[in-house]
Amino acid sequence: MRSVAGELPVAFRYTPGVGNTAFLEALRDRAVLLGSRCEHCDVTVVPARIFCERCFAELEANVECGPAGTLVSWTVARVDVDGANLASPATFGLVRLDGADSVFLHRLVGIDQPETGMRVEARFRDDRQGSILDLEGFGPAVA
Amino acid sequence: MSRRVAVVGAGMTRFVRRAQETGKELSWIAARAALDSAGIGLDRVDAVCNGTAPDAFDGVHRKGDYLADGSGGFGKPYIRTYVGGGTGVFAPIQGWYTVASGMADVVLVVAEEKMSSCQPHPQGAFLTIFDNLIERPLGPNLLWIFALEMQRYMHAYGLDKRDIAAVAVKNKRNAADHPAALLGQSDISVDDVLASETLAWPVQRLDVSPISDGAAALVLASEDVAGSLTDLPVWIQGVGWNLDTTYWTNRDLVYPEYVENAARMAYEMAGVREPRKQIHIAEPYDPFDYKELHHLEGLMLFDRGKAPEAARDGVTARDGDLPCCPSGGLLGVGNPIAAAGLMKIAELFWQLRGEAGARQVPGTPERGVAQAWGDLMQVGTVMVMGSDGGPATTAANAHTPPREPRATPLDDPSFRSATGAIEEPLDAAYRWDTGRAMGRFLETLAEGRIAATTCSSCGRTLVPPRQFCERCFRPTDGWVDVAPLGKVETFSICHVSWDMRPLDVPQLPAVIRLDEASSGGFLHLLGEVDPDDVEIGMAVEAVWRPDSDREGSILDIAYFRPRDAATRVGDARG
Repeated sequence: MRSVAGELPVAFRYTPGVGNTAFLEALRDRAVLLGSRCEHCDVTVVPARIFCERCFAELEANVECGPAGTLVSWTVARVDVDGANLASPATFGLVRLDGADSVFLHRLVGIDQPETGMRVEARFRDDRQGSILDLEGFGPAVA
Repeated sequence: MSRRVAVVGAGMTRFVRRAQETGKELSWIAARAALDSAGIGLDRVDAVCNGTAPDAFDGVHRKGDYLADGSGGFGKPYIRTYVGGGTGVFAPIQGWYTVASGMADVVLVVAEEKMSSCQPHPQGAFLTIFDNLIERPLGPNLLWIFALEMQRYMHAYGLDKRDIAAVAVKNKRNAADHPAALLGQSDISVDDVLASETLAWPVQRLDVSPISDGAAALVLASEDVAGSLTDLPVWIQGVGWNLDTTYWTNRDLVYPEYVENAARMAYEMAGVREPRKQIHIAEPYDPFDYKELHHLEGLMLFDRGKAPEAARDGVTARDGDLPCCPSGGLLGVGNPIAAAGLMKIAELFWQLRGEAGARQVPGTPERGVAQAWGDLMQVGTVMVMGSDGGPATTAANAHTPPREPRATPLDDPSFRSATGAIEEPLDAAYRWDTGRAMGRFLETLAEGRIAATTCSSCGRTLVPPRQFCERCFRPTDGWVDVAPLGKVETFSICHVSWDMRPLDVPQLPAVIRLDEASSGGFLHLLGEVDPDDVEIGMAVEAVWRPDSDREGSILDIAYFRPRDAATRVGDARG
């Protein structure tokens, strides 16, 4: 015997927390991307948070960001987490939503040739459940 | 010469079974409360020390980084400390040396744990602390370690379980006065504890602290800064920590020598020569009721084996001669691992300032000790704290501790219906190499032999065998076979699986001390014996699986059975 196999037999329950709950409910019910603004630091973050990490002020979920934004960076994934080839490549982008200072990670959809700095816009699904996947991703900006 | 360091603020969340808040949010609630109590903002904080125990509880890899924003670490020197259950007292030790060294004037210390994330039971994450080669194949349960230690402790001194249960009663009653407590109960009795479900004898349900979510925080300041912030600084007078062998079955299970070593280090720094006179209040680590007693003896506050009668006689009650866990401890306030340890430091801060409200101990306590315990159940972390001249209970202090600590409990149905709640398995499997010493040990088991290594420097014969002697720190000298004969050092009768499901047939885990090994015992199961007939000291022998079934595994020994044939019964384990 050279080695033994084993596992860590656990599953995790993640509560979304207070900030993310406000974000996900706004996404589900109103198809908006809700952030939080810290007046003291002049910073808006999305998704919403209950505190400012810079000054520790208590924050509200009080700013609607996007739905359009600017592509800050992107990548094309061709393999999955185990290194196997994906059936079709998936494109992911970091988007700075209009009105937000933080960037937001999601899929890029319907964009054949992403370019840093291009304008993109959130594509919401019709059947929304209160999940980050209620957002299909970001496509080319309409306007 | 290091600088004096004061605690100038403390805060905590409520401790709850499952919090709606994320770990980041819990951390911020506690940290903000601590800063508010010190009367300062995050801008005054020079560095942040975070303490949090296994990543696998929250289900977040690199939990220290993840918690940095809620801990106030943005743009600051930030470090996470982790020594298992000892973390809650080690994080403020880290904060202490950050200030004492002159690297920072104000340090925020934040400890967090969100154990409710880990399903079906946080013990699943603990299974890998057992040796993957020679313990985990036995199907261990974390409770085994505690049950085996508790049984050995009780046996060594002939202790009455009622006296041990008195600790659970005291702490749950004390916690009834703590606004953050999860399991405060003012009317609980020793009979309630003894009537609770037996998990792994002698451990019963109410001997154990609960799985919890929560966070706690402290603000530390250098002497110069402390004077400008408060008239009631509480000084960190001494710190200590110490580790026993990582082979837990080789340890002295009766007396926590590593706690004594840590306490001696802290007492010496604090100038405490007679702890029983100079320590007025104690917050020993109490994840299990017997552990409070074990630790009080290691802290040299009671003679060995005498802490249980002190608990029985009320000596450790809030109004006793030496109040112990006036907070309510882990048994009463709750046990979000790292946060629970830091809660003890916060309690000393409040007690020594006269701010503990309904929990305030009588008199004028001037010095206290807090202690936590963890890693593979072999680290002791100790902090001695003191005020200058006792609590100024009449002093006007605007920054009283939070009376309504936050955190929103979320029961299972509420979790399932919550927007965005997610449950997913950890999709990871492992393959552990046997290594050289253990590889050879397993190969000899397949041949029906037990192999040991020897160290000519200390003269020990080591089982489990290792390539190097951890005491002498030199290579071991050679291999010898030891007879498959030993004695039961301690045992348990375990009625539950690791995820707390009842077992049809109880398991009989035992630490077996092999007659020809000098390193201590090793873990296996007993068979062919009625659980009621097992005794500590009983002579046992290995029962090997048939040659053809052996595969180089610890399970090549099926179990150990009594050497006395008259004590044997048919193997009930099938």
